[in-house]
Amino acid sequence: MLELLQQSLFSGLLVGSVYALVALGIALTFGAMKIINLAHGELVLLAAYMAYVIESRTGWNPYAAIPLAFVVTGIVSVVIYLLIERIREHRELNSLILTFAIGIILTNAILLVFASDVRSTGSPFLQDAISLGSVYAMKGEITAFIISLAVMAGLWWWLKNSWYGRAVRAVSSNRDASMLMGIDPRRVELAAFIVAGILASVAGVALYTMSVVQPALGPGLTIKAFIVTVLAGVGSIPGVFCAALLLGVTEAMTVTLASSALQELVGMVLFLLVLFFMPNGLFGARARRG
Amino acid sequence: MRSLPALLILAVAIAVPIAFGGNSYVMGLMVSGLIVAGVALAWALLGNLGGMVSFGHAAFFGVGAYTSAILSAKFGLPVPLALLAGACGAALCSVVMLPALRLSGPYFALAILAYAHIFKILATEATSITGGSAGFQRFPPLPTILGLDLSSRVGSYGLLVILVAICAAIYLAVKRSHVGTALRAMAESEDATRVVGVNATLLKAWMLLLSAFITGLFGAMNAHIINFLEPDYAFSASWSILPIIAAIFGGYRTILGPVAGAVLIYLFDQIVAKELLPVGHEILLGVLLAGMILIAPNGLFGMFQRKTAKGAAHAAA
Repeated sequence: MLELLQQSLFSGLLVGSVYALVALGIALTFGAMKIINLAHGELVLLAAYMAYVIESRTGWNPYAAIPLAFVVTGIVSVVIYLLIERIREHRELNSLILTFAIGIILTNAILLVFASDVRSTGSPFLQDAISLGSVYAMKGEITAFIISLAVMAGLWWWLKNSWYGRAVRAVSSNRDASMLMGIDPRRVELAAFIVAGILASVAGVALYTMSVVQPALGPGLTIKAFIVTVLAGVGSIPGVFCAALLLGVTEAMTVTLASSALQELVGMVLFLLVLFFMPNGLFGARARRG
Repeated sequence: MRSLPALLILAVAIAVPIAFGGNSYVMGLMVSGLIVAGVALAWALLGNLGGMVSFGHAAFFGVGAYTSAILSAKFGLPVPLALLAGACGAALCSVVMLPALRLSGPYFALAILAYAHIFKILATEATSITGGSAGFQRFPPLPTILGLDLSSRVGSYGLLVILVAICAAIYLAVKRSHVGTALRAMAESEDATRVVGVNATLLKAWMLLLSAFITGLFGAMNAHIINFLEPDYAFSASWSILPIIAAIFGGYRTILGPVAGAVLIYLFDQIVAKELLPVGHEILLGVLLAGMILIAPNGLFGMFQRKTAKGAAHAAA
């Protein structure tokens, strides 16, 4: 029993790192534009299918698909940004409906092109199991974890040191003041959407290598990412990372101790508990949300 | 002049069974269209008066359907009472969502989406009550009242027209009451409204409750009309998506817009979209929804109203 728990703890941590990437994409665009991109889960899914295309057509390692996936999700992400830009009235709520509609379009486009079959990697390297002490993992899971960590470190560096990254943080904390400092918020928003596209492309490819994908997965990914951002509170990268690991571990524990059907339920329950008792998130938010 | 669109819609509603009464395919489409119309009305009420966008009305729809079906089949409750109980059940499950009201706009919308998933999972897992994914059938159809068989296509159609009209009347009454005034003020500035002593959260909670009640009622109606339920159907995302598109298309700030929009969108989906794309036909609905938000966020009826309002202003000047 203890071994089972250790195993699910470990698997949960590994999958949680991918949740963190998805959640950071949503948090980034929300920070820059105060808009929740409901199509973000579909962007991730799109990237996962690019990995499928590359693997099934060329037989290469799915990670070779990251450039292609980035081009595709980057373009779609920029298109989403340009469409949101065109909304003139009630932008906060209308952008939700718009991105919801884009999510429907993407889900069905994926369904039309790739059919509703479940896909997963066939790479023997990624599916190979390795043991670390008493716990096991697929090499794909370990790879995904390491790459996710690296991307998060890169994001952290970008936000801290690059001009655009600092501008994104400035616009997030005070849009008007940052405009007075000579920052063009539109360029910054665009940069945020492109970086969110990069995060989605890596997350999608990672998801494909460690799990199965199907067209209906998008909204579930968006919800999970949203749960993570609520758990984390107003965002710092470490906060989002911890919240995502917590969600991953809780889900894995539920599968081990109860049933896999309840996996999605437990995330929601966690989410409700936080809403009830810690409305500012687990990791201390400075301001009220919204 | 103001009631012209309403009279026109009423005339069409009466003309349809006269023209197509014998055609069970057309009447079936109209019945389902009216179900969507009821949900679209409830969605628009929440959006227009409460200022909240919901992506989870499927939860209310499914809860209403299952409550009514189970109460009538397993506890022998007469169908009309069961329908009402279904509506109350949906309202009750909106009470569970009340904590989400403390979240502002976009966060509320996502919280309610999460709730819809919870209810779907619960319905699938609670096999002893709902029959799980194997489905649930053998519950009584709509009764015969005063010699009119409500379970026939024309009968259900008539009942649905009346129910939609009643719900539209309730919506109108709320909109014109002091509650409606307070909610409009709240949409302008929630903080200012709080300062003058309006309990904004309570009013929003009532709107959520009313919207859930109406949605549950139509969910229950639908269950007794088609006489079969399974979680994937009763809690299907379509019950959230179609009403949103219908309300946006027709104009969610009007009362007739969502109703007319629902019937049109449903017919479009069934006759045109499914014909063109048997798989993935919702892509067309998505394109339509995105297009409406970008080009005409006030919907068809909204544009019409704005034009007549302008005309009236000109006439007055």
